[in-house]
Order: sequence, then C-alpha cells, then structure tokens
Amino acid sequence: MQVTLKIFRYDPEKDTNGHYETYSMQAEPTDRVLDMLEFVKGTIDGTLSFRRSCAHGICGSDAMLINGSNRLACKTLAQELGNEITVAPIMGLKVIKDLIVDMEPFFNNYKEVLPYFINESPLPEDGKERLQSQEARAVFDDTTKCILCAACTTSCPSFWASDDYFGPAAFVTAHRFIFDSRDEAASERLQIISETSGLARCHTVFNCTMACPREIQITKAIGELKLATITGKVR
Amino acid sequence: MKNKPLPLLKRGLNFEMLMWIFTRLSALGMYVLILTAAVGALVMGARTQMNIADVLRWSFMPNTTHVQSTNIVAIDPWAHAFWKTVASLTLLVATAHGIHGLVVIADDYIIKPLGRNIIRIISILFMLAMISIGLYIIWTS
Repeated sequence: MQVTLKIFRYDPEKDTNGHYETYSMQAEPTDRVLDMLEFVKGTIDGTLSFRRSCAHGICGSDAMLINGSNRLACKTLAQELGNEITVAPIMGLKVIKDLIVDMEPFFNNYKEVLPYFINESPLPEDGKERLQSQEARAVFDDTTKCILCAACTTSCPSFWASDDYFGPAAFVTAHRFIFDSRDEAASERLQIISETSGLARCHTVFNCTMACPREIQITKAIGELKLATITGKVR
Repeated sequence: MKNKPLPLLKRGLNFEMLMWIFTRLSALGMYVLILTAAVGALVMGARTQMNIADVLRWSFMPNTTHVQSTNIVAIDPWAHAFWKTVASLTLLVATAHGIHGLVVIADDYIIKPLGRNIIRIISILFMLAMISIGLYIIWTS
C-alpha cells in the first residue's frame, strides 16, 4: 500500500517551533509504524529521532501520538491506520527533538508513589518467599502489566494542564502495591496520592484506559483507589 | 493479609477526598431535592395551572416568585416553610457543589500553593455571598 507519513519534526538547534514533514513510501499492510519510521531514518533522513528498544510492545519506549491517539509505534500496523498516517510526540511533556520528549516529570511522579515492594516484617520461618493466594494476586493482576510507556498519562487532560498531577501511570503503580497483600505501605501510598495533585483531580475522562497498549483498566483502578481512601479497605 | 480497614486518619481521607465524595453525594442530593419540588408542584395543582417551563423553574428553586406569573391562584401552599427549606437546601448544596467544581478545574491550571489559596478564598467568599443573597430572597419573598 502507498502510505503518506506525516512526522512532527523539531530540532532545538535550528527550529524555534515544531513543524510537520511528509514522506511517501510503499508499505505492507502488516508493516508497523515503527518499521516506517526506521525506513525514513535509514533511507531518507538520518536525523529523524525517536525512542525505540525492544520493538515488541514490552519496553514501552515508542509511545507516540499516531493519528490522534496515543499508541506504541511497534504495535500499530499500517492497515489499522489507512494511507495517511500522522505521527507526533506524546503530549504534555517537553519535546527534546522530533518524537523524543523529556520523560523526567513523568518518572518524578512515578517515583513519588513509592514504586517498590515494602515489607519490614521478618521473612517466613522457612526463610524463603512470602506466600500469596491466587485470589489475592488476582486483585492487582491487571496493574502489574504496566510498561511505563506514558501513553496513559500523556493522554490525560489533567496532566496536560499541569505535570504536577501524578497521572494515571503513577496511580496504576500505586494500585499494584497498595492492593498487594504482601506489601505493608498501603497507608503511606494512599496518603501520598490523595493530596491536591492526586486522585481528586482525576475527572474520569477514560482517555487513559483507551490509550493503554496493555489494555489495563486504568480508570477502574483509579476508582478502586478512590474507594480505598473512603473505606480504608485494601484487601 | 490486610483484612482490616486502614485507620480513618491513615487512608488518605483528607479534605480533597472528602470534597470529592461531597461532590458525588451532593449531585445525588440535588436530584432528590429537584424531584421533590417537581412532585410537590404537581400535587399542588401545577398539572393544570402551570406550563412545563414554570414547573421546571419551580423544581430547580422552589420559590414563590416562580409561581407568581402562572395560573396558580392560591399561593399559600407554595409559600410554606417546607418549600423555603427545600429551596435553601438546594441553594446550599448546589452552590457548594458548583464552587468546588470550579476550584477543582482551577487546580488543573494553578499549581503554586499561593495561587491555589487565593482562588480558594475568592471562591469561598463568592459562595458565601451567593448563599447569603439567596437565603435572603428565599426567606423574605
């Protein structure tokens, strides 16, 4: 198929504002947007900059605004988009160059929610693992799937307004630990995420849920966190 | 296993979250108050003496000024203290609900604590002024 690929370009050393450049190419319907970007970089313009790593939807490096929706370039096929494809950086974060954005505000918010397992209790008598039932694991199974691609957070209007808002990805991580029966810091995390820049500023827009390439039910998870602050029930 | 609920003061149930709950509950409360006024209007004769626009105007704020230009003759039941109370509750709940909504939206755009506090103070003063004027009208008309 003939594809017209419109890519957002911005070089901080040359440009004062970003602009779009258009490239035409032949592509297979099963080609991914990442393949097309690699084609442009490899054969037309080597200065095109974008993040990519595993190229298989696991590392979360190549989240981009593709035809108006946040998606992973490595998981989005040409046949899903048609002949005209527009690629831009994810929104709400400063553009460093072309499709690369400054992820620091995103990861700063992520760090705020204590994104690691906390359990100060002594290990079980056998000194091995802290056991957990399948039912207890299932409670937070969905939120363990997050790959920190930022597709959710950068599709959220509250985050676009100001990046001091924690954003959906940070809440997903908080959910993953708060509802883990083995973790002991649920209280600290709930108090952190219920501050002014926290849960109350989620306006239940559902953009995050639609953007998530891992199909995590993010708005549902945020709802469960809101409920936990009211009922105090995390298990 | 975490079977026991977290203590009340250690679950993040702060002012932000209390107001979040209030916004949800006050919306439900407004439905109850508005439907009460609508049903009350129909019981008091609105079905044959008022048009739908006047019924809605009454339902959203059950004040006698909203029935004076209708075909209602006996105005006394509409001026009962019960309706003044319903109107006062509607005013209080709706004003607090709306003002808090504006504050939440302002928080999206104003990040500095000083700016947020200024907006909160202005909003609260505005809310108190609207409630005072509204209550004066409800109880003196």
